[in-house]
Amino acid sequence: MTPTISTTGLTRRYGDHTALGDVSVDIEEGKITGLLGRNGAGKSTFLRIVTAQEFASAGSVRVFGETPVENERVLRRLVLVREDQQFPDFKVRHALSAASWFYPNWDAELAESLLRDFDLPTKRPIKKLSRGMRSALSITIGLAARAELTLLDEPYAGLDAVARQLFYDRLLDDYSAHPRTILLSTHLIDEVADLLEHVVMIDKGRVVLDAPADELRGTAVTVSGPALAVDDFVAGRRVLHRRKIGSRASVTVAEALDPSAKAKAKALHLKLEPLSLQQLMVHTSNGQTAEEASA
Amino acid sequence: MNTLVNVARYHLVDRLQYVVLPVGVTFFAFGVNLAIFSLIPETPEENYSGGLFTLFVFMLVCGAMSMTKSLPFGLALGVSRRSYYLGTLLLVIGLSALYAVGIAVFQVIEDATRGWGLGLNYFRVPWLLDGPWYLTLLTSFVFLLLMFVYGMWYGLIYRRASVVGVVLFGAAQVLVLLGAVLLFSWTDSWAKLGEFFSTLTVGGMTGVLALLVCLAGAGGFATMRRVTV
Repeated sequence: MTPTISTTGLTRRYGDHTALGDVSVDIEEGKITGLLGRNGAGKSTFLRIVTAQEFASAGSVRVFGETPVENERVLRRLVLVREDQQFPDFKVRHALSAASWFYPNWDAELAESLLRDFDLPTKRPIKKLSRGMRSALSITIGLAARAELTLLDEPYAGLDAVARQLFYDRLLDDYSAHPRTILLSTHLIDEVADLLEHVVMIDKGRVVLDAPADELRGTAVTVSGPALAVDDFVAGRRVLHRRKIGSRASVTVAEALDPSAKAKAKALHLKLEPLSLQQLMVHTSNGQTAEEASA
Repeated sequence: MNTLVNVARYHLVDRLQYVVLPVGVTFFAFGVNLAIFSLIPETPEENYSGGLFTLFVFMLVCGAMSMTKSLPFGLALGVSRRSYYLGTLLLVIGLSALYAVGIAVFQVIEDATRGWGLGLNYFRVPWLLDGPWYLTLLTSFVFLLLMFVYGMWYGLIYRRASVVGVVLFGAAQVLVLLGAVLLFSWTDSWAKLGEFFSTLTVGGMTGVLALLVCLAGAGGFATMRRVTV
């Protein structure tokens, strides 16, 4: 099966700054994939190139097996919700009716119910909306477009916790009812961790992680307890991070533990905590920085 | 084709900018002119007000806006650059035709009423829009088109290279004119140029404007191909 998005050696340079360097990933059909990374990691650049709003300096991108550049067969089947989407001098309802003309699967009922949920005033000019309301409008368009490929670029800017939860709930509801490919870029990883089926992590324009979310959840473990016992336990394992407070230590190892290792930890009275995706990202990008520093 | 029509509709959502303001300001200026002319006791023979020019300036601004403020959301709606440009052109052609018909009709009324009973020539512009109604229709259509398409090109330059680009673009055009001036001086062709313009009919001028429309249109389209949002 052709992946919905497939990039090979995708690179984007701005002067001597490399926003994306040699990115080769496949985003599979019918899944929710998280595009994780810090601010400025290259997430938005990646999404803009996928939707042909930006051009690659090198490498190739295929969406539904074709190039998206100037290709309406592809562009019509996708929607990108950008954190920094600019609108013309429109009112909210104008933006929605414009969207309804262009997206073939537009669901007006869904749009209306999202407007109600987010409490969006349809007659208000978009430039008078608060940051959060503008995000809510973008989200409404992104979900109601019901595009086969839905790209969400940090769509929650300015939304409070309640509204964010509402967004995650509605996203999941609609995804279950109308399965599609969703690529969600975010740095609020803990909030979305349960939604994600696959994870692609970008750091400084490079892919540092590309794996099913389930696989990642067990890949790193933090071991804590008396320093001596911890040192004994982690000897020979790949250590991501080490912290010592007095006689106690807390060490993160980048390994899945087998049952015998778990039994050993129990015998040594060590506490095992699987690393959350968010912590994994912090460690992964710190690791990158450390490697660069030592190189 | 459907996509192009939708792009035109997309622009027309902002009717204030494309229709209400240009038409409103044109008629507001017309009203002011009427009031002034009715107050002046003796009007000279030839009264040209030039107020109609606001409409053309509006077209320039609309052109620039269509490629700056409206572009990001337009491209976010799954429209290719090509469709966006051509759809905007469709709107431009429609609006220019509509306004050209308006100018021609009001010019005919103006003639029939001897300048609204006041000797005012508002819809008649010396030399350029001063012929029979069909020439007024054609020339104003092409001129409106030129202003809009030229504005679009400026807007696209701004999107690609911001203010610096716009300034350089303006400077480049000045240099082209300067080059032409030098060329005419070196080849002692000023007399020929003068002859060209003195024999140029309004119909011929409209042809020149139409050529410029094609030039600006092609330039804008080429600029559009690599624009990013």
